[in-house]
Amino acid sequence: MSTTAHPIAPEEIMAHLDGELSAARAQSVSTHIETCTACQELVNSLRHTSHSLSNWTTGAVPAGLEKNVMLAAAKSPSRPSSSGSNWFPRTLHLSRKQWMRSLAAAAAVAVLLLAISVPTLHRFRSAGDKVSVLVPLRERKTPATFGQPVDSARVTSQEEQQDASRLSSAYQSLAWSSAPAPPASARALKEYKVLPSEKGKNPTNVSGFSFSGPMIARTVSLSLIAKDFDSSRASLDAILARHNGYSASLSVSTPRDAARSLQASLRIPAPQLPAALAELKALGRAEAENQNGEEVTQQHADLVARLKNSRETEQRLQAILTQRTGKISDVLEVEQEIARVRGEIEQMEAEQKNLEHRVDFATLDLKLSEEYKAKLDSPAPAISTQIHNAAVNGYRNVADTLLSLILFFAEYVPVLFFWIILLCVPAWFLWRRWRHALADAI
Amino acid sequence: MQDALPALVLNSEAIPRTPMNNTPPTAAFPASPASDEHLMLAFSKGSAESFKELFLRYKQPIYGFFRRRTANPHHAEELSQETFLVLLRAASRYEPRALFRTYLYAIAFKILRAHRRKSAFRATFLGQPKSIPDPAKQDATESGLWVRRAVEKLDPIDREVLLLREFEELSYAEIADLLQLPLNTVRSRLFRARTALRNLLEPSAAPASNESKQTAEPASSPSAPQSIPQKGLRL
Repeated sequence: MSTTAHPIAPEEIMAHLDGELSAARAQSVSTHIETCTACQELVNSLRHTSHSLSNWTTGAVPAGLEKNVMLAAAKSPSRPSSSGSNWFPRTLHLSRKQWMRSLAAAAAVAVLLLAISVPTLHRFRSAGDKVSVLVPLRERKTPATFGQPVDSARVTSQEEQQDASRLSSAYQSLAWSSAPAPPASARALKEYKVLPSEKGKNPTNVSGFSFSGPMIARTVSLSLIAKDFDSSRASLDAILARHNGYSASLSVSTPRDAARSLQASLRIPAPQLPAALAELKALGRAEAENQNGEEVTQQHADLVARLKNSRETEQRLQAILTQRTGKISDVLEVEQEIARVRGEIEQMEAEQKNLEHRVDFATLDLKLSEEYKAKLDSPAPAISTQIHNAAVNGYRNVADTLLSLILFFAEYVPVLFFWIILLCVPAWFLWRRWRHALADAI
Repeated sequence: MQDALPALVLNSEAIPRTPMNNTPPTAAFPASPASDEHLMLAFSKGSAESFKELFLRYKQPIYGFFRRRTANPHHAEELSQETFLVLLRAASRYEPRALFRTYLYAIAFKILRAHRRKSAFRATFLGQPKSIPDPAKQDATESGLWVRRAVEKLDPIDREVLLLREFEELSYAEIADLLQLPLNTVRSRLFRARTALRNLLEPSAAPASNESKQTAEPASSPSAPQSIPQKGLRL
């Protein structure tokens, strides 16, 4: 047989013997084998090898196999036909992988339900807080009247309407609950909220500051876009004056070829916050608004209690100093203690005042931006200047990026290297051992 | 002794294997009433007798399948039992899209791979002794130890291809599907396995056979691959 002229590959002869060739190709291969001595030798060799494998026997099937399988088959429920009348679902026979998938799906559904329900509950609580915060707002007036009993007759109709609208909005957020709808007017709402038995209660009444509900320190952030910046600026001052507020800080920025902006931190009496907020929103288009309320009732009560104790301590020390006699060192020691307690009292009084001020005056962070319109009076820089600036900026960006990369690697590569050694080397050893074990199992 | 003999399809007098030329039974071409597929369909509809008949047909081949691939006969028995239990559980989902025999060996092969992974895991992390077969403790009825030893020396994938062809009588396409290998790779590996096995069984004939192989190869066709890249399913 010539190496260059042999038309049939040995693998094809093997495939022919295995019955894997098409009829036409099998015919031509068969014809070739009859005339080719080398191929006949190959055929005989393959047959002999295959025949040798027949010596590899595996023994009879253990009796327990048939017994166990037949037992399992007998226990297995008979499968009803698809057209049968049995409408009960068949017993689930799930593999381990299917069980794992089912459990994973169930866990995913549970997580999804939690993700949906938790924000809803949070919203419900927020709405509850929103309702409860209205009670102290209604029972208190301006900061100048702290400690005085609330006279419902002196409440103006405007405040009633504002409170009514706030209460209504608070109850609207609870609209999905089954609670009955509250009355509409503010006076009726107050009657609806305050029970007769609770009217005489005054849980916190220290230093002329009384509350019958939670103390809320409110903060609002508002971002506005105004068309007319100058008039909005003037209106802002008027709103502050009208609502007895003031600006804790205010800064105006007037950059060239850009929109002017104003950033201010306003302090507005808490009862007048909704009205002031509504007027501020009228200055322009509200771009972002965020309202927060921090309940400081517990903090305030704790502070008041500590203040009371310190004052009593101070009084006792004063009594000791005036009524008792002793050595000079003892007198000095008592005076030092009195000075320390006095310092604590003053510090706590300052804290209390600050806390009450935060409750009395809501903080409103306002950002007022001008709706910018480009002007033609400032000509654009020349193209060459723009290219030069762009090239300089590009160079700086590249340099900054390279520097950032170098800093990153200098900072984190040792740590990464450490963790790689710590984790990957044992993992590699385990992997290698597992591969060897798998190869042995095969 | 009941056993699954090699395919012996190389013997021209052997009866041609039905799966080689037949198309898989479909609804348009239903299998014969006594075929495996018919029995499986009947079993999926509740016929316990059909399952019994299938079990009687395949208990020896399946046990042999595992016995040739595991060192411990108890493991072979357990894996065989697990295969038939899986068949029981999956009967309601059975669709005659392929030959039942291929379907059954696919189940067995998956179970075998899972068993190998578990054994490797136990040997790696739990420090259990590796199940190296000891010839002195093998089944007393097992013969052909020299053939088995020769087969063990083959490349794992070549060995699997050879066993699937010779004992399980799967076609090249079925082997390719089961091992996730290209069809031509299966043919090349099978030829290489048979050649290597012949050389191992008849060392004296190796040089001559190699020469004959070289002369028998056409100039345009490369020789049997010496190093076939490791593709397909991890055994």
